[in-house]
Amino acid sequence: MSAIAAADGRKYDLHFARWVYQNVDGGDRLPLCMQCGMCSGSCPLGTAMDYGPRKLLMMIRAGMKAAVLASDTIWNCTQCYNSWLRCPRQIRVTSILQGLATVAVKEGYAPKRPTARFSRAFWFSVTHFGRTDERLVTAFYYFSCGFKEGIQRALANLPIARRMVKGKRMHLGAPHRVRRTADLRAILTKAEEIETREKVSEAGR
Amino acid sequence: MPEKKTGVYLCGGCGIAEATSLDALDAVAVKEFKVPYCRRHDFLCGEDGLRTIRDDVTAGKVNQVVIAGCSPRVNADRFRFDGAQVIRANLREQVAWTQPAGIDDTGMLAADYVRMAITEAGKSNPPLPYQEGPYSERILVVGGGISGLTAAREAALAGCEVVLVEQSDQLGGHARRWSKRMPQRPPYQAPQNNDVDRLVAAVEADPRIEVRRRSRVAKTSGGPGKFTVTLRQDGADQSIAIGAIVLATGWLPYDPSKLGHLGYGVSPDVVTSVALEEMLAAGALSRPSDGLPANTIAFIQCAGSRDPDHLPYCSSVCCGVSIKQALQIRQADRDSSVYVLYQELRTPGVAEEFYRAAQKAGVVFIKGTVKSVGADLTVIIDDALLREEVPLAGLDLVVLATGMVPNAVGMMDGAEEPSPLPADDINPLSPIAVAGYAAAAVPAPSATPQPPPTQFFAGGTPLLNLQYRQGPHLPILAQGFADSHFICFPYETRRTGIYTCGPLRRPMDMAESAEDATGAALKAIQAIRNAVEGRALHPRSGDLSFPKIGLNTCTKCRRCTVECPFGAIDETPEGFPIVNPTRCRRCGVCMGACPVRTISFDNYSVEMLTSMIKAVEVPEEDEAKPRVLVMACQNDAYPALDMAGIARSRMSPYVRTIPVRCLGSVSLLCVSEALSSGYDGIILMGCKSGDDYQCHFVTGSAVAQERLTKIAETLKSMALEKERVQMIEASIADAGRLPKILDDYMAVIDKIGPSPLKGFG
Ligand SMILES: Cc1cc2nc3c(=O)[nH]c(=O)nc-3n(C[C@H](O)[C@H](O)[C@H](O)COP(=O)(O)OP(=O)(O)OC[C@H]3O[C@@H](n4cnc5c(N)ncnc54)[C@H](O)[C@@H]3O)c2cc1C
Ligand code: SF4
Ligand code: SF4
Ligand code: SF4
Repeated sequence: MSAIAAADGRKYDLHFARWVYQNVDGGDRLPLCMQCGMCSGSCPLGTAMDYGPRKLLMMIRAGMKAAVLASDTIWNCTQCYNSWLRCPRQIRVTSILQGLATVAVKEGYAPKRPTARFSRAFWFSVTHFGRTDERLVTAFYYFSCGFKEGIQRALANLPIARRMVKGKRMHLGAPHRVRRTADLRAILTKAEEIETREKVSEAGR
Repeated sequence: MPEKKTGVYLCGGCGIAEATSLDALDAVAVKEFKVPYCRRHDFLCGEDGLRTIRDDVTAGKVNQVVIAGCSPRVNADRFRFDGAQVIRANLREQVAWTQPAGIDDTGMLAADYVRMAITEAGKSNPPLPYQEGPYSERILVVGGGISGLTAAREAALAGCEVVLVEQSDQLGGHARRWSKRMPQRPPYQAPQNNDVDRLVAAVEADPRIEVRRRSRVAKTSGGPGKFTVTLRQDGADQSIAIGAIVLATGWLPYDPSKLGHLGYGVSPDVVTSVALEEMLAAGALSRPSDGLPANTIAFIQCAGSRDPDHLPYCSSVCCGVSIKQALQIRQADRDSSVYVLYQELRTPGVAEEFYRAAQKAGVVFIKGTVKSVGADLTVIIDDALLREEVPLAGLDLVVLATGMVPNAVGMMDGAEEPSPLPADDINPLSPIAVAGYAAAAVPAPSATPQPPPTQFFAGGTPLLNLQYRQGPHLPILAQGFADSHFICFPYETRRTGIYTCGPLRRPMDMAESAEDATGAALKAIQAIRNAVEGRALHPRSGDLSFPKIGLNTCTKCRRCTVECPFGAIDETPEGFPIVNPTRCRRCGVCMGACPVRTISFDNYSVEMLTSMIKAVEVPEEDEAKPRVLVMACQNDAYPALDMAGIARSRMSPYVRTIPVRCLGSVSLLCVSEALSSGYDGIILMGCKSGDDYQCHFVTGSAVAQERLTKIAETLKSMALEKERVQMIEASIADAGRLPKILDDYMAVIDKIGPSPLKGFG
């Protein structure tokens, strides 16, 4: 599944935009964006983004795939839902940004981003154990920063970890897991299968 | 004329008796003015009060009823007595409700208003209406587009006979060519089938409508109820009698050859929205250059509109039209890419639904300014949303959403027959300049007589070719749109009985044009009915008086002919003015213009006004009671003063107000008489003038202002300060402001001191 972009990078080539409309959750209402800027005005993180949500939505329209997927807008979104709630055209901005983040990861636009790495750690824990295990997620994340930095960060946090164990906030054995991980796997496999099927039939239409 | 028997009726109700002594007023009437008959009642507008008056009138004791009570603006329907003329003194809104009760100043004010009213009665006669038939009740509609068809149909449905004149051999106008029209029904989301044919069929089937194709108006003379219109059809002329005229000559697209900066002419694939309509009607879109399919299309909005170098106004339909066309393209071809390049998108009201539908259908709206259009159709746009210059490439077609130019002065005719200029001694107050067409810079409209522009625009035959002394064209306000009183009387033109509708008034779509045309048709019917009964049209609806010119003293100076805002005055072969009473709106501007004051109405004259001015008792200088005369326009300023009274605002007790028909009706003699009578200050209070005028008689307040510039000399020769004569613009919304404005003026008078002319008058 690759988000199409104009071969010659022409502005306002509509292939990428239409791909987003069809494949990203919430994209169906995106054509209705009237660029009023309510989302950017409402976003608590707007100033910490390369582009505010409004501009990012326009860039999708303008076919600027690389710039959209490489932007930190989609990563700095805290999922507070302000924009979604306030958008006068009821565009699910939050969903769209999250969806774009997934695309960015899949297409290799954001391998180094801390948020992306953290998400991957989280995903690993959840899909393997059906739960988040603090040690697993933190360790996965720390070591995704590089081996040396992983060691440093782990050591720096050791005192906290000790106190957490003492206070029974963290345990030392194997990660807790849901009882039937096999079922969880089956569910995830099925979901992937459905997703692919939908994409194929979309493409075929 | 029967002998005048004046009766004064003093009302004590609504706080008047508390505010001032009725005995004193009685004394003014009976002792000072020797009015034989003065009665009082403490509730004059009640049944009993009215009966008292009615009995006196019926018994033949009184034929002029002076009512000293509420404002002339209220209870006019109650104080109406067959066989008697009614004159009012405003003791309620202007005295009892604005002054402290029981003090001297209040009594003096009330007494002065009674003096003025009795004086007015002495100088006024019941008007005899002009009713000299025969009258025609047929309506002429010029132009067979949506507007003209609707006007004809509506007039016919109201029972009128209609002649519909269309220059081409087909009805329907521009709209006939549109493949679809903008939605008229909920949910307002899809282009709708064009239903003009249905309207054409209804008009053709209506026995009361006579359709004349390939016809034009060769000339028009007369006035409401009495027009003689010469129609020219296939070279043959025929004159017919007409009661009123609806002008619905529509619009024409802005000349795209002036849009080179937007790529017109660089490639055959740059087309206008009008051309696109024809392409859409023909079926699948293809590129004019090579016939290949066109599916990547950009619309450039405001092409020529909202551009100071072209049409400075918004053409108002093109946003909706482009949305319509974009949707048609998207619906026909799912793979098409359609862009609308706009600066601001104007989709008021339900048109917003249409805009949303286009967005949903995938039309891409790009906000920005178009920088250039290349021969390969690459459009460079300064994208306001991405904040960068963006080349839009790969386009098959660029559509220019060109604006609408009003056809109010025969724009369609090209250079075939250049229009004769109005005689240079008659100043068309508004020179004809059509935006984007005026060949030379045209001076701004002004009331000063000035030579008309020698260059109008390329060609242009007067649409009605009016045989009026003021020239053959309808006066134009700005940008080539027919002048109309935008706020109050939109269909009105400055030629009574001739109503414009549709895009020659302002840019309009089909629905707006149809609504406008309905209004114009109803106005035309009203004009005829009033003409037949000898009554004025609004704003003096029902007024039976009309100006009479005493030719024995007329110097043929033509001021009246020039200044009449409605072109009501023609000239005899000897050069004497003659009034066309059915064209006249009774504003009295001619009366104010006439330097020898030989124009008057039965119930309104310079002599009447000056006598009223002189009827006021101006105290001696040492009494320190200044007097300021306010001549207030009856349409807005006087009602605003009344509203201040209704709000119980305190107003200066030194002001004496006379309502006038229009500031334009105020002769300079009124001002100089007031000055020499010892008034300390004079205010002309009336509507706003200028391009955004609010004057109910269009140019009345402008000419008043112009005349006042001349008073400066007079003031100097009388050794008076210029502050003594002022003009104040007041609208109906100014009620709250006026008391303060008057107080401020009183402070100015206080500062410059009393008039040195007191006691000489
Ligand atoms: C590209 C385009 C698309 C549009 N699409 C829509 C739409 O979808 N929906 C909508 O509501 N509006 C639309 N409009 C606006 C619409 O066309 C106008 O509102 C409408 O044409 C106004 O009709 P009219 O009768 O006033 O003028 P016109 O259509 O101009 O009719 C005037 C008529 O008067 C005749 N005439 C002119 N001079 C004389 C004369 N001297 N003597 C006798 N006859 C004369 C003309 O031949 C013509 O028949 C569109 C405009 C444009 C530019
Ligand atoms: S949901 Fe994301 S983009 Fe929207 S306001 Fe919150 S942080 Fe900003
Ligand atoms: S209607 Fe739209 S395109 Fe037309 S002039 Fe106005 S703003 Fe411009
Ligand atoms: S100036 Fe006014 S009153 Fe005089 S003729 Fe013209 S319309 Fe009538």
